[in-house]
Amino acid sequence: MNTELPDIKLIGDELPWLKEYRAAGRREFAGQGIPTAKTEAWKYTKPNRFLSMDFIFNPRGGDKLAIPEVNLPFVAYKIYFENGVFISCDDDLPDNIEVLPLIEALMFRPELKNKTGSLADITKYPFAALNAAYLNEGVYIHVKAGVRPDKPIALINHVTAAVRPELYNLHHIVEIDKGASVELVEYYGYTGAPKSSYLVNVVNEIYVAANAALRHYKLQDEAFKAGHLALNAVNVAANGLYKSFCLQKGADLSRNETQVCLAEEGATAEVDAAYIMNGWATLDTTTDIEHLVPHTNSSQLVKGVIGGQAKGVFQGKIRIASNAVKTEGCQLHKAMLLSDEAEIDVKPELEIFADDVKCSHGAACGRLDADQLFYLRSRGIPEAEAKQILIDAYLNDVMAKVDDENIRSWIKLSQGNPLPA
Amino acid sequence: MNGNKHMTTPLLEIEDLSAGVDGKEIIKDFNLTINPGEVHALMGPNGAGKSTLSNILCGKPGYHVTSGRIWFKGKDLLKLSPEERACEGIFLVMQYPVEIPGVPVTSFLKHSVNAIRKYRGEPELDTMEFIKMVRDEGKKFNLDAEMIKRAVNVGFSGGEKKRLEALQMAVLKPDFAILDEADSGLDIDALKIVADGVNALRDGNRAMLIITHFQRLLEHVVPDFVHIYADGRIVKTGGRELAAELEQTGYAGFMKESR
Ligand SMILES: Nc1ncnc2c1ncn2[C@@H]1O[C@H](COP(=O)(O)OP(=O)(O)O)[C@@H](O)[C@H]1O
Ligand SMILES: [Mg+2]
Repeated sequence: MNTELPDIKLIGDELPWLKEYRAAGRREFAGQGIPTAKTEAWKYTKPNRFLSMDFIFNPRGGDKLAIPEVNLPFVAYKIYFENGVFISCDDDLPDNIEVLPLIEALMFRPELKNKTGSLADITKYPFAALNAAYLNEGVYIHVKAGVRPDKPIALINHVTAAVRPELYNLHHIVEIDKGASVELVEYYGYTGAPKSSYLVNVVNEIYVAANAALRHYKLQDEAFKAGHLALNAVNVAANGLYKSFCLQKGADLSRNETQVCLAEEGATAEVDAAYIMNGWATLDTTTDIEHLVPHTNSSQLVKGVIGGQAKGVFQGKIRIASNAVKTEGCQLHKAMLLSDEAEIDVKPELEIFADDVKCSHGAACGRLDADQLFYLRSRGIPEAEAKQILIDAYLNDVMAKVDDENIRSWIKLSQGNPLPA
Repeated sequence: MNGNKHMTTPLLEIEDLSAGVDGKEIIKDFNLTINPGEVHALMGPNGAGKSTLSNILCGKPGYHVTSGRIWFKGKDLLKLSPEERACEGIFLVMQYPVEIPGVPVTSFLKHSVNAIRKYRGEPELDTMEFIKMVRDEGKKFNLDAEMIKRAVNVGFSGGEKKRLEALQMAVLKPDFAILDEADSGLDIDALKIVADGVNALRDGNRAMLIITHFQRLLEHVVPDFVHIYADGRIVKTGGRELAAELEQTGYAGFMKESR
């Protein structure tokens, strides 16, 4: 992919700050380049091989596209994107939840200027720079103070077979006001020839206000030739909760990166994830939890099942600032390898500058237990089904992190079989 | 015992079996024929290769067969996968039942029952019916509804594990059951419960191979034949009285006899 991006005329260029933000994105992306094995933050995932392909950015505002047929087995306020383009939003949204196309929101809400790029740092994260350069599609979601919606808000991203490699660039700004409590679902799926290559580059900037709670569930089930790069940059205020769960099971190359800043006392982050894969995929889960003040808590449980010649990457960082006493941070990563060629790279990093904190991390890596497998088979259960039972059991505790029962069973059902047929 | 034995096809025929594990020869020229309805006891000292034989009959990976054939219902058993053997009607009460965290007994048993039914071309069982059936059977083995909701064997005592094995056997109703030291680690009450479960399955058609080194279980489940197994082969076969004799003399005498 060429890092010298063209200056494409986009809606909103008439706002000087937005035009300059896009230009800064282009400068940063060209300056940083595509990460390689030498880039510390990307040394295991090495996106340069996948990104040697050129992905074309093709803004198509104004196209009349039909709502994609995606059936989610739970009720939600649904926001649809097709091939990276905003299509529609359910019209039954209550008044106290706002959803606007992002550029429209930026043009009519001058105050959102300060919320754009303030959490996702384009000087550190090259794909946030790429995202800024083409800032165009996405939504602004605003849940007003004290609101507890009766159903989740779902961002449904659907791709139909692309004729040429395309870049789908999405940026969402999510504001959860004081005391509100919301569930946000992100779904990425496709129909059509699964061989089509495309690149999804999504940045979420999420602001959780005091005493508010956001439960953020994501299912990444992209086509197996696709690339998926996601940055979730989150700020949590006093006694706020950000709780996320992401299952990655699709794409050839994928990273789900979550950066949480616990900015005020009592803020909590629970960042859990699972990944299941085979073939040649590389699936990366990267976290960075920053405890800025005392009395903040974080926990992470990440579990993976890797078959074929696939590679799992987990990089988990916990940073505790020098004044952030009485904080707790724990992190556990576990992986199960189903084949001899499967690979796992794990990099935990603890940067603790305060005393009087509780911080722990652990990692484990195992295989399917031969005796358990024989036990099930000796009771008539076919080998593939027996393996699936053991894999499901292995992932049970991490799946249990999904509080919403309907969403949990949807994720479990979508989990699929990482074993070669 | 079985008057018209010569007229029935044997359920299981083991012919000149030599086999082992890890390059080590454990079973040597072993022969055994079991007809429908018969209960055989196989008694032998620790390390004789009893569990090795059970595992080979059930197709556990990791064992090698150097020579010999095994026929089950006229089929070449060694060509079948462990699950096919189970679906054909073989069931092993394991000496050391395996713990499977995260898999509840009921869901495990449902997979098992339905897999076997599917193999036989029968429709799947209705979930409610199935749960009721497992609960009713569970009571017979003194395993309450709470126990069968738990993960397979996790946190079960030695005796509870054996009772769960017997419960599975009662639910799956195999044509041929192998009980590998089903009596070890059982107190007298539990032994009685397991024995009752075994006896309830004796219907003149089902056959059993009861592996043990004590006479204990055989007082409750009376065998038609008793075989003494030492150093990889059967050294003596007799009726139920042989078990009592063995208890008196120990294995040493028989092992000398065999040389
Ligand atoms: N996996 C194994 N690897 C090596 N040796 C084994 C293995 N399993 C069993 N053995 C050996 O095979 C012999 C027979 O074992 P086993 O069949 O368990 O005897 P039994 O059940 O009669 O006590 C023993 O000497 C035992 O140590
Ligand atoms: Mg044994």
